[in-house]
Amino acid sequence: MEPDAGTRPRSITIQPSLDQNALDSLQLNEEIQHLMTVPPENANSFTALLELPAPQAMELLHHSPESNASAAPPYHFSGGANLTFPSNIALIERAARFSVFAAAAAADNNNNNSPETTGSVPSNSTGNPGKVKSEPAESDSNHDNPNSPQPSQNQKSMKRKEREKKAKAATKRSKNGANESSEDAEKLPYVHVRARRGQATDSHSLAERARREKINARMKLLQELVPGCSKISGTALVLDEIINHVQSLQHQVEFLSMRLAAVNPRIDVNLDSILAAESGSLMDYSSMVMPLMWPELQVSGNRQQFEQQWHHDAHPQPAWGREENNNFLTPENSLLSYDSSANSASLHSNHLKMEL
Amino acid sequence: MRAPNSLKQEFLKKWKSGLQICSSCSKNMSIFERKKAIKLSADVAMASARNGRTCWSRALIANASKNDNNKLLVEHILGNSEFQRLNKISIMRPTMSNKRVRCKKILKRSCGTIRRVSKRVVPQKILASCVAKRLSTKRTQVLKSLVPGGEFMDDVSLIEETLDYIMSLQTQIDVMRSLANATELVLRSKNEQW
Repeated sequence: MEPDAGTRPRSITIQPSLDQNALDSLQLNEEIQHLMTVPPENANSFTALLELPAPQAMELLHHSPESNASAAPPYHFSGGANLTFPSNIALIERAARFSVFAAAAAADNNNNNSPETTGSVPSNSTGNPGKVKSEPAESDSNHDNPNSPQPSQNQKSMKRKEREKKAKAATKRSKNGANESSEDAEKLPYVHVRARRGQATDSHSLAERARREKINARMKLLQELVPGCSKISGTALVLDEIINHVQSLQHQVEFLSMRLAAVNPRIDVNLDSILAAESGSLMDYSSMVMPLMWPELQVSGNRQQFEQQWHHDAHPQPAWGREENNNFLTPENSLLSYDSSANSASLHSNHLKMEL
Repeated sequence: MRAPNSLKQEFLKKWKSGLQICSSCSKNMSIFERKKAIKLSADVAMASARNGRTCWSRALIANASKNDNNKLLVEHILGNSEFQRLNKISIMRPTMSNKRVRCKKILKRSCGTIRRVSKRVVPQKILASCVAKRLSTKRTQVLKSLVPGGEFMDDVSLIEETLDYIMSLQTQIDVMRSLANATELVLRSKNEQW
């Protein structure tokens, strides 16, 4: 793995704190990527996306999203019948970060170097390191749930081989064994699940366990997305947080649409004019707008969420506004068509009274 | 994590066209009707920005087009050909996944009975796992009711859909909030001039 360090200088610029681990994870992710090129049609593209991982993600971080979104299709758009996710850059970035962290955690476990190159779930791992590497298995199992009794024999034979190799506990030998099974993984689209010590190995519990680990992997992603969820342990509590988050987001949408309805007397939004006029005054947004918004906040229930959101507003807004200006170039006189005197909404007039 | 700007721009484009349709529709609307129209066009624009690749977006569009008033709006935002395609897909999808879910349930139930007969486990374990399972199923049901089209999904895809749904909701909120801020700011500056 060491000689490859020189060929990937990019990783160092992005994740300076995880030098060695990042390089290792890149190496492993590249190998997995090679594995994944074989059954891309079978793969659930969401998991393919997660596998997509660090190398692609590094490119994406450097180049513009659009050009890479078009470059990424072979991994994602696998047939209309499958549940395919769009080449969501955010997901890729997050997955990249996640895979780097996961591999970093994995690098701490000593014997987990080899299984990561196969499609099998590593044995004595927590859910985390298992997540990245079990993606090929999960992607295959997506298609093979109806076929689960069939590959069980193959699984058993694979397991027996793997268990013998595990017993030897020599990383080199297990690496070779893993390479063998990785080749098998390329040929057979079956679920390779490594049985942990003392666990039942019949096909039902295997399938059940594979399914559970799939769900746990997804839950981890969700935990990352929802703020404040990563510290919570336990599925029920995490689900609670997720539900709260979705509900608050939906309330925010309602609230914002009410705001927009109040501000606009008619729904003809002269977006161009607004955004053109905005270019000058983007900086003093947050200071002026925030005190204005507090009385309206009583309408919604989720106060804390809003406070957080308002604070976050200051930063992304300017960047986005500037970008919009490149697309919408309109003369200033269109502003005059914006009719403010005709509106009758009381909320709106309260607004203005607040200012003066 | 903030959503990518390309998604935001696509959403904004579609939302703009939807709003223009709305304004041409009716001249005098109460504030609530306006709000409903705005929200509807925003939701449909967001769902169509997904290009029918996710289940929740299809379900959302299907629900929106059930109402005849909204159908025109939805059609306009989507573009006619896409609308037809989505109609066909969304009719097929829920029934297919429903069957899959039901088959899985039958399989699981049969597995459960077999296991119960063969094993003898300490009752406390069963109790704890039962409680945990009940908690999580209750919450999954709530989540299913929140995510559009969630009732037809199994657990795994539900979580994936939730992920995508949360992301698009955040994008939608970002765009709407900045638009609202901009509009109000412009309005205020205009009024200060006079």
